[in-house]
Amino acid sequence: MTERSPSKRRLHRELLSLIKEPPPGVSLDAEQIEQNLFLWTIHLEGAERTLYEGESFQLQFKFSDNYPFDSPEVIFTGEHIPIHPHVYSNGHICLSILTDDWSPALSVQSVCLSIVSMLSSCKEKQRPPDNAFYVKTCNKNPKKTKWWYHDDSV
Amino acid sequence: MLRYILSFLRIIATKMLQLLSSRKHLIENVLRIYIKTTSGSTLSIEIDPKYDIKQIKNLVASKIGAQPEELKIIFAGKELGDNIIIEECDLGQQSILHAVKIKRNVPTDQSSSKMKPLCEILDDEMFSSNITNSRSNSFSTDNEVINISNSVMLENSTIRSKKIHFYVYCPTCKDLKQGKLRVRCHFCKSGAFTVHADPQNWIHVLEPKQITGTCENNPELCKDILQNKEPTFAEFYFKCSEHISLGETDQAVPLDLIRPNLKQIQCMACLDTSDTIFAFPCPDDHVMCLDCFKQYCLTKLTERQFWQHPEYGYTLACPTGCPDSFIKEIHHFRLLDDENYNRYHHFAAEEFVLQSNGLLCPQPGCGMGILAEPECTRISCQNCKYVFCRHCRQGFHIGECDVVENNDTAGQNFSCESDMNYNNGNSGELASRTTIKIMTKPCPSCKTPTERDGGCMHMICTRAGCKFHWCWVCQTEWTTECMGDHWFG
Repeated sequence: MTERSPSKRRLHRELLSLIKEPPPGVSLDAEQIEQNLFLWTIHLEGAERTLYEGESFQLQFKFSDNYPFDSPEVIFTGEHIPIHPHVYSNGHICLSILTDDWSPALSVQSVCLSIVSMLSSCKEKQRPPDNAFYVKTCNKNPKKTKWWYHDDSV
Repeated sequence: MLRYILSFLRIIATKMLQLLSSRKHLIENVLRIYIKTTSGSTLSIEIDPKYDIKQIKNLVASKIGAQPEELKIIFAGKELGDNIIIEECDLGQQSILHAVKIKRNVPTDQSSSKMKPLCEILDDEMFSSNITNSRSNSFSTDNEVINISNSVMLENSTIRSKKIHFYVYCPTCKDLKQGKLRVRCHFCKSGAFTVHADPQNWIHVLEPKQITGTCENNPELCKDILQNKEPTFAEFYFKCSEHISLGETDQAVPLDLIRPNLKQIQCMACLDTSDTIFAFPCPDDHVMCLDCFKQYCLTKLTERQFWQHPEYGYTLACPTGCPDSFIKEIHHFRLLDDENYNRYHHFAAEEFVLQSNGLLCPQPGCGMGILAEPECTRISCQNCKYVFCRHCRQGFHIGECDVVENNDTAGQNFSCESDMNYNNGNSGELASRTTIKIMTKPCPSCKTPTERDGGCMHMICTRAGCKFHWCWVCQTEWTTECMGDHWFG
């Protein structure tokens, strides 16, 4: 345990705590993550009494050696990408804590909860207005996009 | 026969044990210390750490021709009581005690806590908090409770558990070490000084003129010169605990944010709970283990995200964005290795120049800081002799600056003579300079050359002091028009 790098120690602890006490609607495949601690796939359930009730999504977290000082790269993957004004159809998410407002005190759990809450507060299912343009031209890594966070309420 | 051999072996064994223990006795039990008297002389004496102050007084009195009752022994701002044992005082080899001859033989109350050495009075809890004034009162009552319960416990263990931990950067050992708190007269810097009250928190120790005292070195002189305009104040300073004292000027810098982890708080980064922590100066008790703190500094340094604070210098704040959480004592960054500490200094100097409206020489490998009159456009570097235009950072030219385009010929056209000379012997520098010219564009606000490594056209200047939002295409401030028209090119 002590021979692991700080980022591995931290990820391992986060994994244990998520297995022990997963927040509502969040689940993960621990065995798969143990194979590669730096790439996680997390299953999300749309919260009850929201527009996304009954839907399920997959989030992909990529971590660097410098985690938690570097933010994780977080995108939606798989067949089903939620239709939401801050989620592009390629899975990129416009959420300030994933770039500018990241802090090492945040965690996989807090990111998942923020994303669930972002979905839950949505009033109308629609793609971002610039979706077609963005998806056609953007970089594979969402952290290479500088977002302007105009509207925090959605 | 067997009995004879056995008893012979026993004799040898006891002899060897005696030899070992007597050697141990010799090494462990001689402490060489200095006694400074108010007459200015210094005595060097060898003592047993088990001696009490009474024995020291007898020893010193005979050497300076005084009665033991006439002497006061002062150490770290405290007059030591007769029954204090030297080893309780946190004295190292070659420490200095002060002997003061008192005029009248006033009987003092030897039982009071006033006569205890400072290290026996202070504890970690008093110094574990950032917000000190309001909480120090409640801590002092806590201490009384602790003292009472401690006196019931075994003496040895109370010394261990109560001993306060100060951490310092020692310039002699060139490392983070445990430190010892010492006191001297703020005015004449003499160590023959007694405090009127014990420090209760970091503010008392770090800020000047917090605690008054009596200078025993030459009380009249200190009072006279100050003309009673202000009381005589104590000055606190630190010494490294780990090397033999090199005299009164041998000091170490206190790293007040490095503390023992009394509340067993997890490191915010790796989530381990370590014995020694870096506590950010924020109300939320955000802490890091020392390894993660180093990693944090290194990451921020590489990203140039240190902040030039007007008062503290080039520093960092709590990474969670707590308000007013900048690190005041920048020697905490001494935890970086030498190479990165040098980088830290380098960046700090650059940032200082830029914030003072200065310029950095654009020649690769130079980067000399230049402070020039604001109206002067012809800037000449004293270091590499490069002469350049203040506005476009190209070789100096007369007339309008060329619009910065990645046009190689434009760059060559106005390289002046000294510039050519400089580059002649250095084709590598020329190559990297050309690379920087082709690959980068200057931030429209602070002119920092910026490379666009993929991604969108919305640039944010990476310099912590600038953070200007600009458009890679227009090379002006980023607007919603840029986002609508050419966000991704």
